This record gives sequence, structure tokens and C-alpha cells, in this order.
Amino acid sequence: MSIRKILLMTVSVSTIMFSQSVFNAYGLGLSRTSFHTSVNGAGSIGLVPTFHPGVSMDNPATWPGLKFTYVSGSFSNQAHGLNNAGVTNQSAGFNNIQFVVPIKERFGFGISLKPLNSHNAFFSTDTVSMDFEGKTLRSNKEFRSGGGIMSGSFGIALPLNQHMGIGLSYNALFGSSRDEHSMVLNDTYYRLFNVRTYSGSTFSVDFAGRLFKNDKMMLLTFARVSMTNKPVSGSLYQFDLFEDTNNNYSFDTGDYPSEVDVDTIDVTNIYAPNSFSFGINANFKNDFNIFGEFELWNDEATNMSFASIHRDQIGSKTHVGSGLVRFGRMGARNWQDRLTFRLGLHRDTYQFIYSGKSLIENGISVGFGFKFAATGNQIDFSFRNGSRTFDETQKEIFREVTVGVSLGDIWFLRRRGKQ
Amino acid sequence: MNKSYFNLAVGLCLMGTLIFSACEEAAVPVEDSGIPMKLDTISFPVIQTVTYQVPPELGGTDYLYFGEKEGYKYLYNLIRFDSLNTTNLFTFDRYNDSLIVADSMRLSLRFSVDSLDENAEFQLRYFPDGGDSVFNETMTHYLNFDRNTASPVISSAKMVTDSIDTVSTKIMLNFLMDTTIINVMKDTSHINFNHSFLVELKNNSTSEFKFHSSNKSEGESPKLTVFYRKLLSDSVVSDTSEHDFVAIQDLSVVEPPAITLDDTSSLAVSIGKGLRSLVKVDMGEWVLPSKGIISSAELIYTRSQSDTLTGYAVSSFPITGTGDYSIFKTYDSDPYTNDTEFGVSSSVVENILKINYRKISTEIGRGKKVNYGFKIIPGMNNDPFTTVLFHNLNSDDSYPIMRVIYVHP
Repeated sequence: MSIRKILLMTVSVSTIMFSQSVFNAYGLGLSRTSFHTSVNGAGSIGLVPTFHPGVSMDNPATWPGLKFTYVSGSFSNQAHGLNNAGVTNQSAGFNNIQFVVPIKERFGFGISLKPLNSHNAFFSTDTVSMDFEGKTLRSNKEFRSGGGIMSGSFGIALPLNQHMGIGLSYNALFGSSRDEHSMVLNDTYYRLFNVRTYSGSTFSVDFAGRLFKNDKMMLLTFARVSMTNKPVSGSLYQFDLFEDTNNNYSFDTGDYPSEVDVDTIDVTNIYAPNSFSFGINANFKNDFNIFGEFELWNDEATNMSFASIHRDQIGSKTHVGSGLVRFGRMGARNWQDRLTFRLGLHRDTYQFIYSGKSLIENGISVGFGFKFAATGNQIDFSFRNGSRTFDETQKEIFREVTVGVSLGDIWFLRRRGKQ
Repeated sequence: MNKSYFNLAVGLCLMGTLIFSACEEAAVPVEDSGIPMKLDTISFPVIQTVTYQVPPELGGTDYLYFGEKEGYKYLYNLIRFDSLNTTNLFTFDRYNDSLIVADSMRLSLRFSVDSLDENAEFQLRYFPDGGDSVFNETMTHYLNFDRNTASPVISSAKMVTDSIDTVSTKIMLNFLMDTTIINVMKDTSHINFNHSFLVELKNNSTSEFKFHSSNKSEGESPKLTVFYRKLLSDSVVSDTSEHDFVAIQDLSVVEPPAITLDDTSSLAVSIGKGLRSLVKVDMGEWVLPSKGIISSAELIYTRSQSDTLTGYAVSSFPITGTGDYSIFKTYDSDPYTNDTEFGVSSSVVENILKINYRKISTEIGRGKKVNYGFKIIPGMNNDPFTTVLFHNLNSDDSYPIMRVIYVHP
């Protein structure tokens, strides 16, 4: 393995730090569909406008509607709790880093870096004791995993006509994850590490169009088709079991045996997401918006041998969501008028491949943003709260607070013609 | 606020949150059903044991022994000194310099205790015709060394009291040698001269005398001191100075007493008697699962003597060929080669000795090594004249058994 790969893996593993959902341990875990804080605040999947009138930062087709070039970052804190286990976890990390440039209100391009999913999980079994020829053996098992797949995206926005535009984006998927199976025997850890690297790509075509407009309202429609270009493949580095004698979580000279072998296994076609999304947005006077969204998501990977603590993984998802957004006005005299309010509800239904069981996620989101300075700078806050119910027996509560800062500047300004 | 400062502040805050991202993680409890990683145990019986004897090799002991004790006859001691002195790494060739005059030489040994109850006369020989090597510290014993290769006696001495400081004293045995011996040692026709000496009692004694050997930690190693003067000019000569050469190898050559019935009817280990034992564990066709790891593979030996013993060290090695487990035998040299890579050591704790053979058991469980059995030998830091007996297969309830605990995916 080259130093470049190791560095890349390390950076990837260390930067994706979602709190552990139980469902992170099912295959590749839950795939995230919203990244920018403004999108999170409305409980959206990124199709409909949530950042600025007519603009969603997660929808390239809408980028020409931006008045400024933006550098944007979102940072979230997540908490998960299991009702029947009395366990709560929380962690923090970035959601999205993005750079978007509108060009003359007709074109646009942007790049972004965002975590698609997370493998962060930590499970433990109860301690059991047994007697072996007069020697007491106390043991339990632990499973830890972390890391996930990142998406580095490049998108462009092109006009179709005066009222319609499309966005094309290419998403390079990369990253790594690490999982560790441990047997704890009389306080000594026996660890087995797996390191996985990922590489693949997807592309998306986004559509944004104005269907109707009169003095009172404007009806906008949005759609996205996302397909896999190159299914995610990679390498699995499977290390031999070792005794972590000094209990420092890593293999070193103080451990037994003195050296461990590693098997390198090529893993192909483990993640191939395809989706179709549709959204509609009604824009009323005073920048008041009502929206609805629908998504069908499907993982068409052919290799289902991804090993995790749970022998199952998510194969498809259906998203239904709706909400309200009232945009603030830049330059308004009262600061209250510069506030953007967002409210959304969503329901996601995940389907598991092997068991056929369903996971139902219901969530509510609220958020607000505040515009400041002459170049459309915006700071956004969002709060999402919801539950995931699995097999009618397991219920997970999740909460997420996200803060996003978008800094605007003027690039490719449409110049006034000479008088 | 200036716009650029504001942007900078917001940017730094954003970077700070990235850098200082944190997580608080608690394990989610799960049922142990189908989760990889298993803990397994297995017991293997010992099916063959035997004790055998080889000539005692005392090269690693803390003391050099003279006299007799409990049937052991301490025949003589062999000492080899470094060819470089301790302070400025000169060799004996240095004394061929016409400006340096080596007057005399002294070989000194430190007595084991600092008081003298009984004195005796010792004598010294060396090996002018011994070439570059006279003995091997780890292999020389009373059957394979010919003391007649040594020179006639070159010096005799008795122990004397020496002062450490104004309060403390120590007992030293100092042999003085004249320039005759120095001339032999500095002779350049001897390439890599052996610098070896033989020390013995002048007359047989039924008492035991012990001196520090070079292996004794915090002891005073045998030392060879050369006294010399320098010619500073035609008429001026410096005061006498000295160079020290320390012992790099030494051993007592010992003739063991007769073997007893206990020695042959138990698993016995002894440095002084040269007793070693073999143990064969029946591991059958056992296979360690792929990527499995042995947590412990303890073979438990129970001491058969009634007094309580703690701290006696035992080393054990897999042997590399078929062992003869039929009957107690005496060999001129050890017929069983140690697989040193898989050697382990442990100490007796309250009459129980537990030796963890997990490294070699792993290799056997993976089919990479053949199980011929394990040899147990006494550690060299033990009292060489203690014999430790363990129960063998003849014991009803304290026979040795191997217990293996292993983890596998």
C-alpha cells in the first residue's frame, strides 16, 4: 500500500465522524442525502430552494440563481440514543465543504467534498464467565468500526431556455473504513482488524424549471436522476488476530505475536446507488414557499459480501418530505426581515436486502439563516429530530444540530453595458 | 467590523470546528448471536515423560566453585580474559613498546562472602600452547576437557582480606605472576592468544569455596591486572600504573554425585547433576482455526518434593527430533537439539510450574512444526546444586497436563 493511500485513508477515517447509529453497522450504513445546513433545516433532499429564492446549494441546476460566488461549510453535531438500551452517543464533524460560482445568471459551476455515509459503530456483548480446569475465563466481544465513503463532486449548471436549466455533476467516491472485532478475555484484548478502501463514481442530472408564474405565486419543479458510473470497489486488508498485550488499540512490538500477516482481497461492486428524485415548490408573495419531495433510491451492487456485525444491508430507500421556507431579504432594513425560516417533515423507508425488514425514519427539521454584509454572506442553523424504528422492536432517536457559514464574493459579475 | 477581518474570523472558526471535532461514544449492547470471534478451550494429556542426564555445564552460574559439597566435586575453574583492557582498549602488544615496562601481573577473584572462616591454598596454571581458544563456557564439562593441556603451576595464593573503605572489607584471592607470563602473552607470534587460566585448590578439600563469576550481576568479575611503568625520558620513569582485563568467560568444572532413585523416577532438573527432562503432549490432529490465536497453552508441572519452593527458574524448548522416552539414560552430550526460537521460561511458584507453550503450539496447530516433545532444563541463575523434582505420569492426580485457551474469528 502506498504512502499516498495510507495518508488518504487516515484523512478519510479521521474526518468522517458521525455519531454511531445502530444502522451504520448494516453494510455500508445509511446513505446521507442532505449536506448543506440550509437543506438540513428544511428536511429536504436538496432539490428545492432552501438557501436563497430559487436556489438549493445541493442542486446544481439552481446555481445560476445565486447572485454571488459562495464558499460554504457545514458542521454538525449528532446524537443518537437507543430507547431500549439506554445508550446515547454524540459526535461532531463536517457535513460539507463547497465552492459554487454562478456565471452571468445563466451558468454556474461548483465543487464540493462531503461524506456520503458513515460506518461509525461500537457494539459490545455482555460479559460471560466460564470455568476451565479451575481457571475463570471472563469474556465479552466488542465491535468497532469507523470511516466511510466520501464524495468529491464537480457540477455545472447550464440553461435549457429562459425558464429551465439543468445541472450535471460528477461525483468521485473514495475513502476507507476500518473495523475491529475484539474478544476481551480476562481484560486482555484480542483484536482483528479489517481496513477497506473504496473507489467509484456516480453522476447526476438535475433539472429545475418554472412551470407557472402569476402575480401571486410561482410554481417550480425539480428532478434528479443519479446513476452509478463506476460501482464502488476497493481492497480489503484483512489482518491476523493479535493479542493487544499493552492495550493501546494498535499492533506494535509489545503485542503477541511479534508479527501479523495481512491478506489483501479485491472487493468489487459493493455499492452502486441509483436514484430518481422529484420535487415541487410553490413560491408565494413575500418569498413564502411550500415544497414537497419524493425520492426512490436503490443500491444495485452485485457483491453483497460486505462483512459487518449484522449480516444484512440496506438495498433501497423511499423518501417523502415536505416543508415551508420563508426567505429573508438581503439588505432589508429590519434585521428580522433578513432571516430565513425553514420547517420540514420527512419519512424515509429503508428496505433490507436479506431479511426483507424495513427501517422507518420519521423526522422533523427546523432551521433559520441570517444574511449579512453586501455580498450575501449567510449563516445557517438547523435542528433535526427524529426516530428510526426497525422491526417494530428497536427504536433509535436521533438529533442533529448543524451550523453552516456561506461567504459570498463577486465573480463573473454581469457588467452593465456602456451608456 | 472590517469585512476582511470578519471573513477571516468566520473562516478560522470554521476551521477550528473541523480540527476540534469530537465524539463521545458508548457501546451499544448486542446479543451474542452469530457475532464473529469465538473463545475455545481444549486440554491435551501428557503421554510420555522421561528424565535424562548429561555432563553438568556450569558456564552461566553466578559463582566459581572450589572444593566439595554434598557429593559434588568441584574439579577446577577455567577463566578467559578479554584481550583489550577496560580503560583504553590496549592489547598485550602494547607492552612490546620499548617505552613501557610491564613488571608484573595479578589475577584476582572476589570471595562470595566478606569474612573468612577457613582458608586454603589455590594454584594457577595457564595455556601457553592453547592457541586462540581453550574452552567453551557453554559446552565444556568434566568429560570433554583435558586439564593436562594446562601448564605447570605458575602461581599459588591464599585468600586475603582487602579493604573496600574504612569500614568494609572483602576477601580476595590474588595470584601474582612475573614477566615470564607477560612475555608469553605479549608475544606477537601468538595471534589472538587465548588469555585463559585454570584455577584449582592445591590440595583436595571437603569444604566449599565460592567466588564471584563474570555472570554475577553486581558482582566483582575475575580480573587480570598488569602493572607497568613508562619511560618518560632516558632518566625519568613514571610511577607504576595498571591496566585491567576482565573475564569474558568462566566456568566451574564439576563432577556430579551419583544419581538417586528420586532423580530417575520423577521429572527432574538440576544444573549440577546435569538432569533434564522430556515431556510429550498428545496434541493429536488438533488444528488451530485460521487466523486463530492461542491465549495460553500452559503445561502445568507439580513439584513432588514436600518443602515449598518459589522462584526456581525453568526453561523449556521444543526438541527437533524424536525423543527416547523409554528409560532414564546418561549421555556424554545432550542428544536433543533445542528449537531455540520457541524457547520459554517460567518460575516455580509454591511448587507449581506453569510454562506457556503458545508459540510452538500455534506452529503445531497450524501444521508448520512437528510435535516431538518439550525439553525442560533448569535456568542458569538457580542454585546449580539444587535438584527439583516434578510429578510425572506415575502420579495419580498431579500428572502434567496442557490446557489451551484460544480465540479465533
